Amino acid sequence: MTAVLDRKPVNWKGALDWVAVHSLGLALGLMFALPIVFVFLTAVMSDNQAFTKDLWPHEWHWGNFVEVFDKAPLLKYLGNSMLYSLLATAGMLLSSIPAAYALAKLRWRGRNAVFLLVVGAMMLPPQVVAVPLYDTWSSLGLTGSLWPLIVPYFLFDAFSIFLLRQFILTIPQSYVDAARVDGCTEFQALVRIIVPMARPGIAATALFCFLYTWNDYFGPLLYTGERPDEWTLSLALSSFKGMHHVQWNLAMAVTLLIMVPAVVLFVFAQRSFVKGITFTGVKG
Amino acid sequence: MTATLERVDVVRAAPARGRSRARHRRTVLAFLAPAILGFLLFFGYPLVATIAFSFTKYDLINPPEWIGLENYSYMLADKLFRTAVYNTLWLVVVLTAARVVFALGVASVIARLKSGVGLVRTLCYLPSLAPPVAATLVFFLVMRPNDGPLDAFLGWFGIEGPLWFADPAWSKPGITAVMLWVSGDLMIIILAAILDVPQEQYEAAELDGAGPLRRWWHITLPSISPVLLFGVVNSIILALQLFTQAVVAGSAASGSADVTGNTKILGFPENSTLTFPVWLYTQGFRYFDMGYAAAMATVLFVVSFAATAVLVQRLRKASYQEEGGPGA
Amino acid sequence: MRKVPRAALLCVAAAVSLTACAAGAGKSDPGGLAAAPGKDDKFTLTVWSNYSGREQDEVTKALESFKKKYPNAEIKHEGSQDDDKITAGIRSGNPPDVALSFTTDNIGQFCSSGSFQELKPYVERDKVDLSQIPDAVRSYTEYKGNRCAMPMLSDVYGLYYNKELLGAAGITTPPKTTAELLDFAKRATKKAPDGSIEVAGFLPTMMFYNNRPPIWAPHFGAKWAGPDGKSALASPEWAEMLKFQKELVDFYGYDNLERFRAGLGQEFSADHAFHQQKIAMMIDGEYRTAFLKDQAPQVKFGTAPFPTVRPDLYGAGFTAGTIMGIPKGAKNPGASWELIKHLSFDTETIVTLANGIKNIPSTKAALADPRLEVDENFKTFIDLATGGKLQGNPVTPIGDAHIKAIGDFATSWQAGKVPDLMAGLKEVDQQIDDQVAKSGK
Repeated sequence: MTAVLDRKPVNWKGALDWVAVHSLGLALGLMFALPIVFVFLTAVMSDNQAFTKDLWPHEWHWGNFVEVFDKAPLLKYLGNSMLYSLLATAGMLLSSIPAAYALAKLRWRGRNAVFLLVVGAMMLPPQVVAVPLYDTWSSLGLTGSLWPLIVPYFLFDAFSIFLLRQFILTIPQSYVDAARVDGCTEFQALVRIIVPMARPGIAATALFCFLYTWNDYFGPLLYTGERPDEWTLSLALSSFKGMHHVQWNLAMAVTLLIMVPAVVLFVFAQRSFVKGITFTGVKG
Repeated sequence: MTATLERVDVVRAAPARGRSRARHRRTVLAFLAPAILGFLLFFGYPLVATIAFSFTKYDLINPPEWIGLENYSYMLADKLFRTAVYNTLWLVVVLTAARVVFALGVASVIARLKSGVGLVRTLCYLPSLAPPVAATLVFFLVMRPNDGPLDAFLGWFGIEGPLWFADPAWSKPGITAVMLWVSGDLMIIILAAILDVPQEQYEAAELDGAGPLRRWWHITLPSISPVLLFGVVNSIILALQLFTQAVVAGSAASGSADVTGNTKILGFPENSTLTFPVWLYTQGFRYFDMGYAAAMATVLFVVSFAATAVLVQRLRKASYQEEGGPGA
Repeated sequence: MRKVPRAALLCVAAAVSLTACAAGAGKSDPGGLAAAPGKDDKFTLTVWSNYSGREQDEVTKALESFKKKYPNAEIKHEGSQDDDKITAGIRSGNPPDVALSFTTDNIGQFCSSGSFQELKPYVERDKVDLSQIPDAVRSYTEYKGNRCAMPMLSDVYGLYYNKELLGAAGITTPPKTTAELLDFAKRATKKAPDGSIEVAGFLPTMMFYNNRPPIWAPHFGAKWAGPDGKSALASPEWAEMLKFQKELVDFYGYDNLERFRAGLGQEFSADHAFHQQKIAMMIDGEYRTAFLKDQAPQVKFGTAPFPTVRPDLYGAGFTAGTIMGIPKGAKNPGASWELIKHLSFDTETIVTLANGIKNIPSTKAALADPRLEVDENFKTFIDLATGGKLQGNPVTPIGDAHIKAIGDFATSWQAGKVPDLMAGLKEVDQQIDDQVAKSGK
């Protein structure tokens, strides 16, 4: 309420609007969160109750969160996941920001065609692409490690280039032109103008890259499957599956544990999405 | 605003002297160098390999054997190829539209929140953080017919819920529901774009007496149109590549869900969850016909690339016209 | 930053190619057949399997018992490796020494493509007595005379029945014929006043739980291929099986049955409908006895051979299991074979492992071994295994395409979407034959 009062004198229409928007927001939040609550409830159930129609735990097995550490070396997997996600994200930022800028704000012949190719690069089914690539990495002797998954991010990530380009496009051209008039090189314009202005977009892209790699299951399975020392957290799920039975309670407990670092990261990173102070200063 | 137009290029580039133009070209090349290398290695090479495999019989072990267009002609006889095309087209149309509209709607609501923004944003994004197999299975539990929470909720309104994943008519809507639930990434992208719209534009419009809806329609939407374009294209690709969620939904409906999404049962019920990538995977890795799978991949790539190229050009033109109107 | 991984890449590549050369110098006798390692040789064998958790530990123990014969051998057992991964490993030239596969669907591909090496020369050289292995198990470890795999335990499928639910309907013995099954299923079914199903006597829905065509077929005497090797599903036996299913479906009412089935719990959880006493009878593997004992001790159940369409077939059933092979390109096939031989034929190892993961032993000696822990319900499956009437998976070079084809057809048929049964089955035959023809094998 205070926010409204701060801005304007009392305004009934505004207040009603406030209530409507906030109830809607709350309802949405609950709707999104509810299934996660079920994940949590399943995670603290007994093996015999998990995945039954009884959604409320008969007994609370908090020990499940401890037990999973006995069943799988989660801390080692955590380290590997961190390595994969952090390096991939760093690599993506280094390679994709300049490429996105070149596709959004630099003028050169063939730009549109190249942009379409970037989009097209996402349209080959990964299951098929994996066949020749696996053989290549294998002939380099790099299967059994996370490098076949990390290295590509230092060169080319179509999703991120596409997303960043679209964000950079929303920055009015006048800012870039002003920088050029002031004698900035393109590199300086990129670093001084575009990167700070596109901060929400860059933060979002980095976050997605991190989370995509964090939850990546098939990549690590394909490339590190035979070397459990290199496994990532997402692969830990397979430790709770037998030939004819799954320990759903433990699997859900691990699911939550996998999500925790991601949630923490999101809570901190989302500040970057909040409208930046950056704008007010730039447009002089 | 019209600066993204190509004709500005000409105006700007023409008077530039040769040396600076060469320097400009070097800058472009430097910015794109890693991407070009990566593109050739991780896309160009697999693409060429896939197209080459598509003309061969290849069991993944023995050297591919040239068979010309046989794999392509087999598609005409393959009943499930048609089913898979239908399922994926269904998802491309429904999932794309639903996802973009839904994400835009939720982001617009969040953008207008004045307190609790962080909390709501986190809650909306939470599902996207769950591993896809787990996310699908949880939804399966929620939408469990007869006694699941969703059916209980619908029961309050006297509605008997459908059988969702167990019914061939409702399994794809069920998968769509899962995908909307995990569309937090697109919401965040759109939200970031909405928050990026310079505040002074709104203030100017407000002075002109524009209400919130008109401001949203005339300022927010045009400003974030590049990001919406991303949302559309990204959703199409997501629908075209839909694999894990379809496999998990099918396996859970057949009563044999497993935590890693590994299953023998694909497409259950009645092949309604047999998406194009699922059938392609089945042919390539379960039936050991990588040649046919490669042909399917080639068809998927060519068709979706052509369609997206047309779409991108169209949407771009449309957004130029909008930008061109008030901006010029 | 960009240079680091590339430099690392080159270094690692160089290092690996060196070790690869060293490892390539394996032993082989002049005949091309790899000799067994010497008793005190030091060597390491990598084994890939799809086990995980507790089961993986049990299998590791079994693998370690190889050291009784080769004290200096080292075994590296990597779990969670599926068949896709095995194929990728073989294709790229870095396969494990021994590969274990859970499914018998792919044996046709493994043998015909050369993914798994032909074992017959080893079998002959070492004078291994293959008749020790039950016929059905032998059938699912070879393809067209090419023996490229050996079995490691098996699963056997039979009837599970809930004694209390059947008893309440006045039934005291399990059904022996499919006609009885139909009758008992109807009598044991309980409906609510509104007509919805509360307990189903027996669930005929194809592809749900273990209602899969290869598991059902033996009880109807249904065969997959004719003498010419072509698909032969358009037969009276298959039609009989499908009509049986349809009659039961019509008894429940299709929509009614679907609503009931859609609410049933997952097979791999304690919410399994049989655990929850929502179905009175079902077909399932021997492993279910352990889960029932553990998760649903309140369920009073019995096991029996699954009912058959004719009395002479009684005792028939389906069997499948874990198979082991030496992948193409394995570095030390002589030693790989010794390990496979050990796991396939060492009675003590087999019995211990069978007790550990509650599966059926895959040799006659182990099946008869007194150390095998057998309770009344498990005994049904041991008897089925020794009875000699079991059938393995139909082996084809097209994975499980044929199973999917007939399974899909049965689903449509049950839904009432097939006007002409025989014509439909002929189409399925065509579909399967086309897929086989396309594979060129």
